[in-house]
Amino acid sequence: MSAPAAPLTGRVPARRSLSVRPDPVALLALPAFAYLAAAYGWPLLVLLGRSLSGPQGISLTPLAQFLSDPFSWRVIGNTVRTALLVTLVCLLAGYPAAVALARARGAVQGLLLLSVILPLSVGVVVKAYAWQIVLRRDGVVSGLLVGLGIWDAPQRLLFTETGLVIGAANVFLPFMILPIYAVIRQIDPRLAEAAATLGASPLRRFLGVTLPLTLPGIVSGIAFVFSLAVSMYVVPSLVIGDRFQTLATLTGRAFLFMRDEQLGSTTAVLLLAVAVAVVVGSTALARRLGGGGQS
Amino acid sequence: MPSTSPDRRSVLRGAAALGALVAAPGILRAQARELVVGGAAGHKAWVEEIVVPAFERKHGAKVIFEGTRSLVNLEKMQKNRDRPYLSVVQMDDPVMILAVKEGLLDPLTPARVPNLGALVPGTVHMDGMWANYLQPWLGIAYNTEAMRQAPTSWADPYDPRYKGRIIVPSLQNTEGLPNIFAAAALETGKSLDAAQGDAEPGFRKLAALKPNLLTVYTQQPQAYNLLEQGEAWMISSAMSSYALERKAAGAPIALAAPKEGVFAMPSGIAVVKGCPLPDLAFAYVDMLLGAELQQRLVGPTFSLPTNRAVPRPAGLPADLVVHQIDWANVARERDGWIKRWDREMAI
Repeated sequence: MSAPAAPLTGRVPARRSLSVRPDPVALLALPAFAYLAAAYGWPLLVLLGRSLSGPQGISLTPLAQFLSDPFSWRVIGNTVRTALLVTLVCLLAGYPAAVALARARGAVQGLLLLSVILPLSVGVVVKAYAWQIVLRRDGVVSGLLVGLGIWDAPQRLLFTETGLVIGAANVFLPFMILPIYAVIRQIDPRLAEAAATLGASPLRRFLGVTLPLTLPGIVSGIAFVFSLAVSMYVVPSLVIGDRFQTLATLTGRAFLFMRDEQLGSTTAVLLLAVAVAVVVGSTALARRLGGGGQS
Repeated sequence: MPSTSPDRRSVLRGAAALGALVAAPGILRAQARELVVGGAAGHKAWVEEIVVPAFERKHGAKVIFEGTRSLVNLEKMQKNRDRPYLSVVQMDDPVMILAVKEGLLDPLTPARVPNLGALVPGTVHMDGMWANYLQPWLGIAYNTEAMRQAPTSWADPYDPRYKGRIIVPSLQNTEGLPNIFAAAALETGKSLDAAQGDAEPGFRKLAALKPNLLTVYTQQPQAYNLLEQGEAWMISSAMSSYALERKAAGAPIALAAPKEGVFAMPSGIAVVKGCPLPDLAFAYVDMLLGAELQQRLVGPTFSLPTNRAVPRPAGLPADLVVHQIDWANVARERDGWIKRWDREMAI
């Protein structure tokens, strides 16, 4: 009977000092970890290696060469600017929607949720094609703006940056609404009521209570939408076309068409760096702001 | 009672049966004399309806057409260099150049392919490494409802009347190349053939096209949607095999042949070096270059014949000049052109 006792006595100290022997429960993460390491981590390392390898071994020359070209900065500018604008539009349109979603009850809430989630099942190619029709000179948007007297004559939004931002914001909006909604749902409504009984105006209640409490949701929404928008490929290809290069479309072209692996891996790594920087930065910001909000 | 656990004998028997099963297609292929042809997926319909039955009747051998893409065919040839299974490839000319560089092709000679002598000039390339069996041609497609008169010149898309109404293909699409050559010719006054040597003036001229550009496409169907629905009025340059097919399907578009001439698009055919059934392979090439088959193919493919004996399809001017593209030059310069195009044509 000493056999079962041995592991037991062995396990007890292990629990006390986790650094020596990790909790076996952590092994549950192994399949997912192994899958990601093989399917994502390893190719990423290869990509990184390629972007940093020149004819004479490891070098930063390809990266420096790329960054010394003013056109590259234009491409980077296109990529970051559209991603920021898409994120901003999604935030401005998505936040009120998330609040409404969280406040709604019963069938109305079900309907609202459905209308947020259902569009996700429509392929992005289909959406991009639909926007092509909507944004044309004789399309719905132009007709509406002329009808309202905002525009004097029909104009085309298709193949313009404005059109791209509108189209992309539509595709990525659910990724802003859902995280914010998830956070708002958990806020105790009595907090705002308490602020009201203390005489806070609606604006003050929103700025002082609701907004700080929803910051974690806002930040994850921003991280989702920005990283999706910064790397979008199909939407710009169809809605703005070949004349507006972003890091993602340039990467695709370098690999698929020009067979220039050096250029492709350089732009891919830059794209990754931009996305990671924004996601990490916004998370750090959220932690600081969130900490302030809770105290 | 029979045992359910496998003994050594049954395992061996099973392995032998499995081996036979795996080897069977190869054995059957050898028996029936099957010629494997690699080509484009889009060609499958007319190859299998017209070419294959004619060949099988004449030579008593089966033809298997593997329809993929030019670059996929190139990869199949590279990977199986020592034991090729493809005998004939039908690929775009730019990819043919790569295949020649890798030494993957067996040259066509008049002795093995008698119809080589019947082709129009400029359709046999790199000392007979490959030949063009058909030529889709590039002109200007236009919306017949938006434009009362057909465009007549490669200069028409530059007319300020067409602000925001012109679509051109990206340079990464092969059918986009004529725009540089036509622009260079317009800028310098040289002929379309002579202008191909120097792209510099072409890029200068193309800058003037920017206000008229609706977009630059990489996806052909998208561009034709816009043209057919009247958002775009012209696609310059447009491929006959696509534009005329849409027209035949009832779309309100037509394809104009500019007075300076049209460009020929490459549809090359070649024999794989060291291939199985070489005699049949050369016979297949000879048949596609022959007048009888080309006569039957120009209609369904909306293309120009390359055999001198075959008349051009109806509706084209009798004195139409067909310009050949200097593919060796394109292969050398294209990446540089694309980079420059991205910079100078950007919104």
